This record gives sequence, C-alpha cells and structure tokens, in this order.
Amino acid sequence: MAIHLSRRSFLKTASIAAASVPLSKVVAKAESDVVKAPLVPPGSFKDTQTVVGGVCEMCFWRCQLVGKVRDGRLVKIEGNPKSIDNGVSICARGNAGVKMLYDPDRLKYPMKNVGKRGEPKWQRITWEEALDTCAEKLKGIVEEHGPEALAIFPHGASASYPFHFFEHTVGTPNVSEASFFQCRGIRDMAYVATIEKPPGENVDMPNTKVLFLIGGHFGENVHVSHLKRYLKGLENGAKLIVVDPRFSASASKADVWVPIRPGTDTAMLLAIMNYLIENELYDADFVDEYGEGFEEFAEGIKEWTLAKAAIECDIPVAQIKQVAEMLAENAPNVAIHPGRHVSWYGNDFQRQRALACLTGLLGAFGVKGGFVPPKGPKGLKKVSWPHGEHEADRLTEYSDNPYTFSPPGTPTDLIRDAAITGKPYPIKGCVVWGQNPIQTIPNQEKTIQMLQQMDFVMCTDIQPTDITMFADILLPECSYLERYDYIKTGTQWNFADEHQQYIAPRMPLVEPGFERKDGIWITNEIAKRMGYGEHIPVKDQVEMVNYRLSGVGLSLDKIREEGGIHLQPGVDPYGVDEDLTIHFYNEDLEDEDYPPIPTYIPVDRAPAGYMRLLYGRSPLHTFNRTQNNAWLMAANDSNPVWVNDKVAEALGLQDGDTVKLINQDGVESRTTTTVKVTPGIRKDAVYMYHGFGSRNPELTIGHNKGVDDTSLITRLAVDPETGCHGMRNNFVKLVKVS
Amino acid sequence: MHYGMIIDIDKCVGCHACTIACKAEWEVPAQFGRNWVYRLGPAQTSQGLSYTYYPGLCNHCDQPSCVDVCPADPVSMTFKDAKTGKTITMEVAATWKDPFNGTVQIDKERCIGCGACRDACPYGARYINEDLADDESMGKADKCTYCVERLAEGLEPACVQTCLAGARIFGDLDDPNSDVAQYVKKGAKGLTSTAVQIGPNSMYYGSKQADMELLMQSAPQEMPEASLRRRMLAQMTKPAMKKIKEIGLLGLAGSLLVSSLDNNKSE
Repeated sequence: MAIHLSRRSFLKTASIAAASVPLSKVVAKAESDVVKAPLVPPGSFKDTQTVVGGVCEMCFWRCQLVGKVRDGRLVKIEGNPKSIDNGVSICARGNAGVKMLYDPDRLKYPMKNVGKRGEPKWQRITWEEALDTCAEKLKGIVEEHGPEALAIFPHGASASYPFHFFEHTVGTPNVSEASFFQCRGIRDMAYVATIEKPPGENVDMPNTKVLFLIGGHFGENVHVSHLKRYLKGLENGAKLIVVDPRFSASASKADVWVPIRPGTDTAMLLAIMNYLIENELYDADFVDEYGEGFEEFAEGIKEWTLAKAAIECDIPVAQIKQVAEMLAENAPNVAIHPGRHVSWYGNDFQRQRALACLTGLLGAFGVKGGFVPPKGPKGLKKVSWPHGEHEADRLTEYSDNPYTFSPPGTPTDLIRDAAITGKPYPIKGCVVWGQNPIQTIPNQEKTIQMLQQMDFVMCTDIQPTDITMFADILLPECSYLERYDYIKTGTQWNFADEHQQYIAPRMPLVEPGFERKDGIWITNEIAKRMGYGEHIPVKDQVEMVNYRLSGVGLSLDKIREEGGIHLQPGVDPYGVDEDLTIHFYNEDLEDEDYPPIPTYIPVDRAPAGYMRLLYGRSPLHTFNRTQNNAWLMAANDSNPVWVNDKVAEALGLQDGDTVKLINQDGVESRTTTTVKVTPGIRKDAVYMYHGFGSRNPELTIGHNKGVDDTSLITRLAVDPETGCHGMRNNFVKLVKVS
Repeated sequence: MHYGMIIDIDKCVGCHACTIACKAEWEVPAQFGRNWVYRLGPAQTSQGLSYTYYPGLCNHCDQPSCVDVCPADPVSMTFKDAKTGKTITMEVAATWKDPFNGTVQIDKERCIGCGACRDACPYGARYINEDLADDESMGKADKCTYCVERLAEGLEPACVQTCLAGARIFGDLDDPNSDVAQYVKKGAKGLTSTAVQIGPNSMYYGSKQADMELLMQSAPQEMPEASLRRRMLAQMTKPAMKKIKEIGLLGLAGSLLVSSLDNNKSE
C-alpha cells in the first residue's frame, strides 16, 4: 500500500486521543500495519544505538565522538561524554560529518580515467584491475627511473601508512605533506632551531594572564578543546593581545588589537624584545640559566627601537610599548602562542624563532599560563614500513639552497620543478592520498604542468576534489567514520583540573558503504603487487591498532568496553624541562649562512592599485575538504572578499557588489564573489576564506562556489630555511562585475 | 516553569555548531534552519568596532504572533504541568503556547502548511517544509521547540549540548536561582524594538556595549503586516470556529479566505 495515505483520514480516529498526549508520544503506526513516514522526526535519542569510538577528522584536531545509529544508518554525531578533551561538544563541521558520510557525490568505486587528465571521463573498474594497474605503473616507473621518480602528496591520518611505504620501503624522498610545507612545518622547525622541540599549540591558555596571538583567529578557526582553553582563559581574566591586519573574531574579544602591516610581524617582535632587554624587563635569571647566545642576540637586535618598528609595522609606538609592558608585567605567566598555519610571507621561520625567543625572555616556559606541553600517555607501539636498501637521492643535494631546516620530506617546489624540467632527474609517477595539491600549493599552473608530464597519477580520497580530476586511477577510501587508523592521545583540556590522560583509537561508527576500502588494505594490496609483500608490517587495520595498543596493555575490544576512550591518571605538566636550551643565537644556522639570530626580512608591499591577498578560516569549513557538505554549504557557501570601507568608497564598491579578482600577474579568478565592506581590515589588504571555488563539477554543491584563493597565489615565496611556501605575497585588484 | 534560553555573546565565538547540531537532531532540510547564526560586522558602533554574532532561534514569545493566526481546526488539548500534575484543557489550532512551560509548539499532523504562522513571525523563526506536503496540506510548519522532546528524556537541547563555548544557557526563567534568571538579572535581553514587543524568551547577554549595540540592530523593526491583518481576522473568526470544530474543511476555507484578503491587499 502506498505510504502516501492521507494523513488526515488516517488520523481521524487517532487525533482526538493524540491531542491529549505529548506530541512525541503520537502513535506512528496504524492498525492496518501501514507505517507512515513520521512528520515529527524522532530525534537522535529515540530507538538509536550509541556507537562509541569515533574520532573526528572533519579537521585534524580529532575530537572524540559517539554515533547515534538507527537501523545501521548514522543519524547524528555527538561528542563522547567520556571525553576529557572536547567533552560532549563538537563543532559545526563535526556535526556535519553525517552529510559527508552520505554525500551522494562521494567516491564509491575504483575508477579509471578514460578521458584526459583535468577533463576526466570515469569508467568504473574492479578493485582487482585498479590495484593491478597502480602496482604495474608505479613499479614500471621505479624500475625505469628509480624510486625518486615517485612524488607523494599525502594528508590526513590514513595517509601515513601508504606514504611510509613509498618513502621507506620503495625509497622515494619526494614526499610533500601539506601540513608541513604549506602549513605548520615552519613553526615546528623554527622551534626546533630555538628550543629543540616542535611546539604544538601548547600554551596554557586557561591559566594565563596574557595571551598573545599573531594572526590566530580563534572562533573562525575552530578546534574544540583549543577554543575551550582560550575561552576559559578569557573567563579567568586573561588579557588578550591580537596582532592581525584584520579585526578578526579574536581581535573582537581582545584588549589590544594591533592592526599591523602584513609581513612585518618580526619587526614588531624584535622591537618588543629589544625594549624588554634595554629596560631590563626580561627574566635575566631565566635567560642566564637556559639561554644560549643571548649576548649576540641582544646586540644583534639593538637597531630595533620602538620608533623604527612603528614605522615599519605602521602602528603607533605607544601600542608596541603597551604590548611589551603588558607582557613584562604579567611575566612569566604569559602565553606566547606559536600559531599553527604560519606559511605566510616567505620570512616566517624568523618570526617563529622570534616568538620562541620572546617566550624565553619572559621566562614563560613550564610555568602556569606559559608554554607548557601536556604530558600525555606514553608507550604506544609504532607500526612502520621497513627502510629499504636504497640510498635516496635527495633534490636538496642539487639545489642552490640546501633548505637545511626543511621539515621531513622534500620542499614542494623542488619536487615540482624537477618534475617539470626533468632535472636533476625525472619524476614520472604521482601518488596523491587525501591531499588536494591544486588548492593547497601556490601556482596551480605549475602544479598542473607537473601532473600532465607524469606517466601515471594515482589518487585516493573519500570524495572528488580538484586534484582527483587529474588522476588516471582514482581509489575510493573509507572516511573517518568507516575505518580504524589513528590513535588520539592527550590529557584533560585544562591543567587546573585533575591530571588525566586519555587514549582514544578511532573505530568505525558504521560499516563502509559501496566498495570503499581502508588505506591499510589498499596499501598492502599495492605493495604485494609491486613485490614488497614480505615487508608488509600489518595485515589489516584492526591488527595495526591492536598492535599499537598492546604497548600499553590495551586492545580495541577493551577500549570499546570502556566507552571508546581509555582514561588513566595523569602527570603534572608544569616545571621547566632540565634540558631546556633556548638558542637565541643558533650556530647551526650560522654555519649554513642563515641568520643566526631572529632577523626581520622585509617583503614587497602592494603595488599601486593592488591590495595584499590575505586568507583564513571559515568556522564552517576545513580548507576545501568540506566544500560539498550540504549542511555546511547551506550555512556558508561563498567567501566574500573583505575590503576596507574607505578603500571601497574610493573604488566605488558597495557591500554586496559582485566582483572578480585579478592578481599582479594578470591571473583572473575563474569565478566571482561578493564584496564585504568593513572598517575591520587595513587599507592595504583584502581578506577571504580559503578553500572555495572548486573547479570539479563532480562536486554538485561545491563547484564554483565563491573564489579559489589559491588560484590567485601564483607568485611564489619560499621560506629560505625550510623550503616551505609563503602564501600571502600576492596582490589583487577587484573588478566589479555587477 | 517558564523555559528560556540565554546566549552569552561574550562567550560565543560564532562557530555555528548549534545550527548544524539542530539540523542533525531534527532532520531539518539543508536550506532551512530552526536556528541560525548571523555574523555581524566588523562594523563601527558608537562604542567602537564590533564583530559579533546573532545566534537566533524561536523566542517562544509571551504574546506569540504566530499562534492566533493559525487557521487549522481547533481541537481540545489537555496540558499537564510536569511538576504539580495540574492540567489545563484548551482549544488550540495547529500551533499553540504551552500554558505550563511557555514553549510554542506545532502539531504537524494538523498543520495545513499555509504559511500564516511563518509570515506572522517578525523574527523569521518558522519555515514551511514543503517536502512534507500531502493531500491535506501544502507542507508542514517547523521551528525550534526548545527540544522539549529531549528535555523529556533528561537531555539538554541539542544546540546547548554541542556548544563548545558554554554560550547557550537553557533553563527555567521562573526559578530565580537558575542560570537563565541570573542572566536576566544581569541584563540579558531579547531582541525587541518600539514596534516589536511580544515578549521574547530567547535573550542575549554581552558585557561589551559595542557588541550589544550591533546585535540589537538585528531586532525586527516592525511586525509583519500579514501578521497584523491575520491576527485581527483570527480574533473575529476564532470563536465561531471553535463552536463548529468538527467540520474539518473550515480550516482550509478559512485560510483561503485569509490569503485572498492578502492578495487583494497586495494588488
């Protein structure tokens, strides 16, 4: 019988009875056994099973989740009540994971491109054929040109296992992780060069007296427990200093907003440090005990008076002084935030070094409210592909700049240039796993040239993206809701609370749909076919996670019984690490002809008629990865370009006007966006959310929505120490379309 | 018992989690929302620059403009006070204000999807889900229920549970010790204007004057005209409707009458 039975007639007898009971109790089943679609949705709490063990990957903060599952279908995702990290809270993207999971545009089957790269025509093939083809082509390239002829572009938890196979066992050093070379690699290496450790975002915000942010736009950039720390700090009375050319979400909550000229942050930091030293406002005892090369450092930054920095940074002397004094008065309980995405101007290693030095000058290591790494669980075993015999031929050996402080892998441009020129050796095979290099790496034309000259391009992803258009073979991967892989560990989010540690291995909340497979299986199958079968470290994803957990006497079954998260007593994280050394002056840098003390390297200013293109995060999106999510796009489906109100007036632009963007090289945006006129941005810059304007028509929601900022970042800036990209040295003008 | 929600805009970071959690919980079609977050500014105010948020939802108003305009057949409905067990029986159309907990609710079974309630709300808090149209209706009205169904199970509203900032505070405004009542005491207020004073129970608190000034600019400045006309009409016709409630078609006919009056006006 048709479901479309008249509700009114069906309810004739029921309505009178129903009228006196709560709506939720209204019977949904007729005596005739006809089940009607409920008009009142049942909610996530009725007749659902709570599945534990989820670990989010809508972004890479990895909140712990539970799934509400009804009849095998995930209806809602919530924070795991057992979590001491995100708790029951998850962000907009976390909540929208359901829409990612069931997105009809997702990859479902292995596909072969029978069209052209960039203009694909897809033909469904079997896994057997897909794996045979990938293995045969990749093996052929390795045999003909050597393992270095493979370029690997990984991103995300599931990409580690396959890229370690290609890097360690097959033997290519040509791996470019976006999270390093286009994001936080500079930060990590600058801190390694200064305090011998990468910093994470490990500042004790809940218990700090002053939080100092350069470019951090929390609230627009959302990581749940990080925001909880930030908000707790503000609630506890912390002063907030935000340095940003734009009046960001954080600037709006700040006590001091420093609308700095883009690219000049290091000058401001040097002036602050020089002021602290000259006025003996720094922690001399601490510097004495833990510092190295302080004298050279102090001498070297002497030129940076407040007045000099004020001119360079285009901010008042009084404001720099106010910031310096606010930090000094509250030291050592001050949080100098190391940032996260810091690949901005090509001079960023120096800024990050300066931040670490400033933390040292203020004695803000290991103290309440300062830089305090959490003490998380130890002892998880590692699973890794064994290193082969092959001695890797590194591109850095051939380059003018050795990029001595490069993060692991090879600087992206060295790989891309080698591929395009064939020198010093050819790069003919490309494996992309979860990364979208088209919307990640500056200068798309070069990236496309690189791809077009390949003999073979293989992509694995959960969904179509701009890069998947360039695949020869496209493999559908299980999403984070359908697989095991990552083990998230950490501590309670606020160090003021009882010290606890957690171990949360990702477990699937639902069975994989269609023919999607997990990365361990895919990698092992390719490895076998390439002749590396005997090196396979684990047979499947469950074995991998269980093996890792065995190091701490746990297993997936045990943790599942415990509610998806294992908790154990923690350790007080405060106290200065005995081995702490702060390299104010770094000899290794000196030896390699890099500036041995933090040094300001000016960048070009906007040419007349142009404004610097700045980009940042939307709270509803994770780069381009969420661009086809129906819920997230309904809330935010474009990236209006912020323009200073006075500039807009001069240009004759009004709020809501439609514009295209043209950069200094004459590159035009393929699509248009609207103008957001605001006093909340400097005159010399415009700003937009990153990750919009996907060129892939297979994304029926995300295609051509907003403007692809990466398409306008054609001029390259490469950080000299690390080889990482700076992506804020491009300038645009706006052309009104309507 | 008088439910209310406070949004602390000092804490809110504009992450939009509340809106997406609600969509998931109540299967709200992507293009609609039972709640919303509008990003306001950065804009200049008399108190300096502000960049804040208007996280909106149904205000479950004290004098809801959406209730009287409902042309659906009234039925007799008995409400029960969860605390005292006291009951009240009222004649209600397909939407009503609960006399005990103060929430405004919809009976989707009887909703005819005419849109009168949606048009009557100055806050735009209701939408019509046309996907649920059937032989007897053009769709179904929907809006925030304050998650009374979750409350009945001892759960928090979905938006409150997911809020990472603790910026959404829900509770009993009648209880002077409740967090919501404390916020009202501290100055939390609804979005009202000279022309729109219908007693909103979703309220906002912010310690920064610039933020509150910008937020208050989102208050509706006039009652929807359709609402005023329909309310007047409803007040004239409702007593008659109540007497002849068993004649099912009057609801539809009534709504047609109203909409034709409306059409006349717009011509």
